[in-house]
Amino acid sequence: MSENKKIATRSETLAERSREIPVISPMVDIYENDDEILLHADMPGVAKEDISVNVDNGKLLISGVRSLKISGAANWEEFGDVEYRRTFSVPQSIDVAKVNAELKDGVLKLHLPKSEAAKPRMVEIKAA
Amino acid sequence: MWTRVSDIDRMYGAMDLLRSHMNRLFTDYDRGFGDEFGWRVAEAAPRTNLYDNGDQFEVRAEVPGLNKDDLKIMIQGNYLELSGSRKSEAPEGYKAHRVERGDASFTRSFTLPSDVDVDKVEAGLQNGILTLTLPKAEAAKPKQIGIK
Repeated sequence: MSENKKIATRSETLAERSREIPVISPMVDIYENDDEILLHADMPGVAKEDISVNVDNGKLLISGVRSLKISGAANWEEFGDVEYRRTFSVPQSIDVAKVNAELKDGVLKLHLPKSEAAKPRMVEIKAA
Repeated sequence: MWTRVSDIDRMYGAMDLLRSHMNRLFTDYDRGFGDEFGWRVAEAAPRTNLYDNGDQFEVRAEVPGLNKDDLKIMIQGNYLELSGSRKSEAPEGYKAHRVERGDASFTRSFTLPSDVDVDKVEAGLQNGILTLTLPKAEAAKPKQIGIK
């Protein structure tokens, strides 16, 4: 438990910063086979430019900001601007340089290939 | 005597509740504190917004992973029905570690505040958000009244 206490609570009052958007974690599916780990995350409404994928020190951070352009009066509103953010621990055997991501229909698909050394290998038994 | 038994039952019920809360404590640890706090599976029906622009309504729905063939939109008067289904994307030959997204089908119907012009309705799908533009029927459009 942290003992951080703010003594002075003077925050910046820039107009464009005053509205904080909520952070929610996206729903994900995680699959794995011998070659790679596959991660699918639901991020509806997030544009390609607004997604960041970061692998650092065994942590994978995916983040995407959704900003809806709204016009008119809302009769009802069940979703709004939001930041999708979620952190995963990834094994060190992931080949970070080969990670690739695609975005289709609001679903982020992340391919995390395993490095050669981590792939399962058949060991041949030699006759003595 | 029987009331005592039900008391004990109730006590165990409370303990079970507490235990489930404690179990959740750790799985929720690094999850967001947004409007959907807690672990949950994907909802059956997509969330929607309705905006009124004076001459037209705009309906938006979150439909990640659905393409335009998976969605069906029906309008009659002021009744709107959205239905669709998401096919499982589970790739072949992979083992699943975590499946939260599900592949459910849904139907959701709405009563719009007024009738819409069915022929001029437009629908667009971008980044998993369905946007419907529904022009109001002539009778429902706002009109300026001149004072004589």
